[in-house]
Amino acid sequence: MWYFKALPTSKIIQFICLSVFLIFFFGPLLNLLLLAFSGEWQYPHRLPTSWSLEWWSFVLQDQSITRAMGLSFLIATIVTLLSLIICLPAAYTFARIQFPMRRFFLFSYLLTNAFPKMGLYVAIAVLFYRLGLMNTFVGIVLIHIINTLMFMTWIPSAAFANVHQSQEESARDAGASPFQVFWHITLPMAKPGIIVASVFTFLSSLDEAQGTFLVGIPDYRTMPVIMYSIIVDYPSTAGAVFSVILTAPTIILLLVARKFVGGDALAAGFKMK
Amino acid sequence: MSELAVERKTKKPRLNWSKKTKRSILGVSMVLPSFLLLLVLVIYPVALSVMESFKSRDGMWTLDNYLYLFTEPHMLNNIKHTLQVTVLSSVFVLTIAYSIAVYLRFNHSWIAKMVGKLYFIPMFIPGVIAIYGFINFYRDNGWIARLIGEGNLPSIIYDMKGLLMINIWFNIPFTTMLLVSAMSSIPNAVIESAKDAGAKKRHLFFQFIFPLTYKTMLVALTFLFMGIVGSFTAPFLIDRNAPQMLGVAMQQHFSSYNEIGQASSMAVFLFLLCSFVGYFYIRSNMKDSTKSY
Repeated sequence: MWYFKALPTSKIIQFICLSVFLIFFFGPLLNLLLLAFSGEWQYPHRLPTSWSLEWWSFVLQDQSITRAMGLSFLIATIVTLLSLIICLPAAYTFARIQFPMRRFFLFSYLLTNAFPKMGLYVAIAVLFYRLGLMNTFVGIVLIHIINTLMFMTWIPSAAFANVHQSQEESARDAGASPFQVFWHITLPMAKPGIIVASVFTFLSSLDEAQGTFLVGIPDYRTMPVIMYSIIVDYPSTAGAVFSVILTAPTIILLLVARKFVGGDALAAGFKMK
Repeated sequence: MSELAVERKTKKPRLNWSKKTKRSILGVSMVLPSFLLLLVLVIYPVALSVMESFKSRDGMWTLDNYLYLFTEPHMLNNIKHTLQVTVLSSVFVLTIAYSIAVYLRFNHSWIAKMVGKLYFIPMFIPGVIAIYGFINFYRDNGWIARLIGEGNLPSIIYDMKGLLMINIWFNIPFTTMLLVSAMSSIPNAVIESAKDAGAKKRHLFFQFIFPLTYKTMLVALTFLFMGIVGSFTAPFLIDRNAPQMLGVAMQQHFSSYNEIGQASSMAVFLFLLCSFVGYFYIRSNMKDSTKSY
């Protein structure tokens, strides 16, 4: 007790807040981690009574689960690349080129967030039935791209706009072609914003379940879709193992992209000029 | 692509017009692919949905779906519940995120550094998994109940409390990130000089920090509102069965009752709510804008 008395009150309050913060945000995750390695954990026990890896071998041997993981990453990669190709030119245009109805086009991307996703997916499903895109790979990729259009356009656009035009001008004066200027000056300087947008695109694709479920069933079952059925059908240990496997790659992504994932590029993307 | 720069330096008034048109065409053609995608995958389905909401089951034009939405007592309860959850979640998230952002900006202890490194991690956890972890953690025989003893925990899962908590969990990282960025763009010099002039902490906050960050709060609020009001997964897995959030009711009316018109009227209603919030967001963006096109 004497130790706590010696501390200033503000330190103690900070410490309590930190504890609440840690328990609230990471308690549920730690719980899953413990569950994943537990053999037996009956109700009143505070910690697992025995440890085991049996569900790990079950999950890793189940072909449909490993296939779902491969599929999810394939889709996320394709979605990220495609939306880069589609959205970056638009983002650059919004930042640099003057054209009629620019603002109307720019703000129309907000529609992807303003209409409830469930309602949108249902309407798209009706459309996809007509076009024969139900239960196809293309259909899933398209559904995922919807969620990324806004991020992929707004954030890189703000990043392009923040590159000083004087730098581009001086490179032009030195004799560089417009494309060289873009490739060697503009693009590298806008890189942080583009990376943030790409990371979000990748994550949102990995995370998408509702639309994939509606459009991809029965042949295309991604990780989150399988996760739904695991929650319902299997004991919580199996669900926990799967959760850990599913989370690991995004944590790796987080570590790799940490340097770039700052709030600044993100915040700039939502303040349009 | 930076022809604009060249154009500005070597002003040739006669060429200007045609060059401007050329650039307009180039601009439109570069935006077109992504806009076409938006048109086919979002605008067209939205229009379909709006039309569907005015149709009865046998395809006649009618207002019945909206009548159902605004007169049926359980639907009114659902609307009330949806607004309640959305407003409460948004208020909690904004308050907590703002506190964290202020704390991270003005405190440099190791605790602050640690919080600064950890707060955005939930953003990287897939939604279903977070909810799954939440249920295992807080349910009546979950880990918390085991740690503090049976009966000491109010029911959290399958209750609005649980839904509010998971909304806070999901949305704090994004909101805090935006606010931290807004805070860090307040120059130290502004704060130091205000302090030197004898400004009290409260004064400093309301005169400088709040006005410089409230626009970002509006941005955050817009996306919080839009994200929560139409959400499905979290309320479906965590909330009580009645009243429901409209996102869940919509899904049920569509897949269980096959009432496409009623489901669409809910979607359109949620869309109108979001448009209302979005309007303020767009207006505030327009006001700041230095470009006039």
